[in-house]
Amino acid sequence: MQISANRNLNRPRLRGRKLTDDTPWAMLMLAPNIIGFFMFMVFPILATLFFSFTEYDLIGAPKIIGLDNYVELFRDPIIATTLNNTLVFTLITVPIGMAFSLLLAIFLDQKIAFKRFYRGAYFLPSITSMVAVSIVWQWIYNPEFGLMNYLLSFVGIRGITWLSSSSTSLLSLAIVNIWKSAGYNMMLFLAGLQGISNTYYEAGQLDGASKWKQFIHITLPMLSPTTFFIFIMSVISSFQVFDSVILMTKGGPGRSSSVLVHYLYQNAFQYFSMGYACAIAYLLFFIVLLVTMLNMRLERKIKEIF
Amino acid sequence: MKNRLLMSMVAVILVLGICMGAMAEVTTITFMGWEASPLETEAVQAGIAKFEEQNPDIKVQYTPGLSGAEYVAKLLSTVAGNTTPDVFFIAAEDYRTFATKGVLEELTDKFSDSYRLDDFIPSVQDIMSIEGKVYGIQSCIVAPIVYYNKDIFDKLGIAYPDADPTNAMTAADFRELCKQLTIKNGDTVDTYGVYGLETSWLTIYPFMISNGTHPYTDDYMTSTFNTPETAEVLSWIRDIRVVDGSAPDATTLENIGMSAAQMLQTGKVAMIIDGSWALQQLSQMDFNIGMAPLPKFKEAVTNSFAHLHAISAASPNKEAAWKFVQFLSGMDYQGALVSEGLWMPNRVSMYEPEAVAQWYREDVHGESYLKMLDYFKNSVVGPMALQKSNKCQSILTEEADMFFKDGQPLDVTLQNIQDRTNEVLGKL
Repeated sequence: MQISANRNLNRPRLRGRKLTDDTPWAMLMLAPNIIGFFMFMVFPILATLFFSFTEYDLIGAPKIIGLDNYVELFRDPIIATTLNNTLVFTLITVPIGMAFSLLLAIFLDQKIAFKRFYRGAYFLPSITSMVAVSIVWQWIYNPEFGLMNYLLSFVGIRGITWLSSSSTSLLSLAIVNIWKSAGYNMMLFLAGLQGISNTYYEAGQLDGASKWKQFIHITLPMLSPTTFFIFIMSVISSFQVFDSVILMTKGGPGRSSSVLVHYLYQNAFQYFSMGYACAIAYLLFFIVLLVTMLNMRLERKIKEIF
Repeated sequence: MKNRLLMSMVAVILVLGICMGAMAEVTTITFMGWEASPLETEAVQAGIAKFEEQNPDIKVQYTPGLSGAEYVAKLLSTVAGNTTPDVFFIAAEDYRTFATKGVLEELTDKFSDSYRLDDFIPSVQDIMSIEGKVYGIQSCIVAPIVYYNKDIFDKLGIAYPDADPTNAMTAADFRELCKQLTIKNGDTVDTYGVYGLETSWLTIYPFMISNGTHPYTDDYMTSTFNTPETAEVLSWIRDIRVVDGSAPDATTLENIGMSAAQMLQTGKVAMIIDGSWALQQLSQMDFNIGMAPLPKFKEAVTNSFAHLHAISAASPNKEAAWKFVQFLSGMDYQGALVSEGLWMPNRVSMYEPEAVAQWYREDVHGESYLKMLDYFKNSVVGPMALQKSNKCQSILTEEADMFFKDGQPLDVTLQNIQDRTNEVLGKL
């Protein structure tokens, strides 16, 4: 009885101890994730920061050179060219890509036949390997036998050398990336559209709002969290574009389609300048951070308006 | 009964012990290379099997790598991760960088014990020897030549190009020949005269050297691209496509999934300028192929280079690795691949008539190959093998693209190449 009484008396303390006893188990269960996070995220981020202050070729020991790599970023004319190409690529792919995805989402949110088939078909490119996509698009862009020039020939446009002309190479890559990411963004927009309650539209109809006004005053504001998410993710992925560049143009002709990550790769693995490549990685990181912060501030302001 | 059981157990333990002892004596070496074609893959794997048969105490664990710049990236990653293979391919253009950074084991003494440097042809000596030291051994050379589809020549009643380098076509004659071989059908072209002039500096350099100019000074520390002779070569190449319409766009046919060899086979082009490695694939295709030296400006010349086989300085199995490197440069391996048409011999002795009789196959090499043996033996070293920085190669590719594909003026191109490469070399 005494034992039982003690048990009852000590229940809160026991419960506390039980929680404390669980802590090692919780840590153990979380350990794979935490170790993975530190090994594959925190450590590489810190190592990249350290190497950016060194002259390092991946073979010998890194030699600390202070801010020299960062000073070189401002002197190197190829940085200006690749940064400009990255910005142009982002300016083409993000707005056009988002508008296209939204249009697709609105279209496939209607009551139309074979809706599910279309959704699957438009989503397919986003799960297809970029290698396969690149091969197919190289055929499409082929100046002599390609589908693109064949279609354009009906409106009198002939002989565009899509990938081998400096004036069209970046645009060609942007088209591929818009096409590839459209399906994924469309699915996100669809989820956003289906989350908007019908009552808003019914109220709008009662007030005599046209379809366009309903779109501007109901759909767009209600979609803004989805839109901002897609915007931020699209900007980040545009700044990080690499696979289509290396597969389709290798940055050429000249440097016309070379982007920051492509130049980073060249420095790291072709020019034996890993230190400089790490400095380029941090330049990219700060640009993406800046753009994301601006986006978030803009999002807050827009929320205040609506 | 008990005794029988006991004896059986002892026997099993003895057999196991012997097996484990034998296993313990086997040295496993790691080997990394690249594979340019399925045929090359088969050849490398057959070579490894033969080596293991000859050396039962050594097992080769082969890792096929990527090719080109991606191979260097992979190799660099293994060096950084301290997992460099014991033996690996190293491209001639990367050999000096990796040797001077201490990644490659110095083989000078071992090499001197087994080989004579002057048994290797001069271009190979230039590549293998770094200030008198050897860090890797080449197994072959590769050099660009002209391949042509004899059926197209026969159809048009045009004489085949002479395979004898002393009668090599002049650049002007070659341009004329390309025009004659181009078959137009209204607005489209059924057969182009030639393909492959613009695809790589490996095929541009020999024309520059033939015209009496060289891209670099003797020490490769200063670029000398901007010369009238280089201008003449680049204009000649561009005009064959742009002015005469005798060549397709450098990427057109490849983009539709055809290799240069397939273009030649299907009659899309009448001639291709390609590396000697193409012969292995071409010889297995069902059509009549001819070969000829490159057209000449002043003298008939081609340039050659090839990868080397090197041993990692960090390898714990250097003796076994050395045995394997020796095998890779020997007649069993090199001779087999030369015989198949993938490679060309890199030893002076392999060009002697008795040695030629061992590797020459009429069904692969044809008659014309024999007339070009001295042409291969006297090939000059490809400048890209000795250039001091990989950045120079990137610059050359960028500027050549702008000239050939994007219409950048010739004088701007040459000035850009010279200024930009000299800026890189000036920082070394």
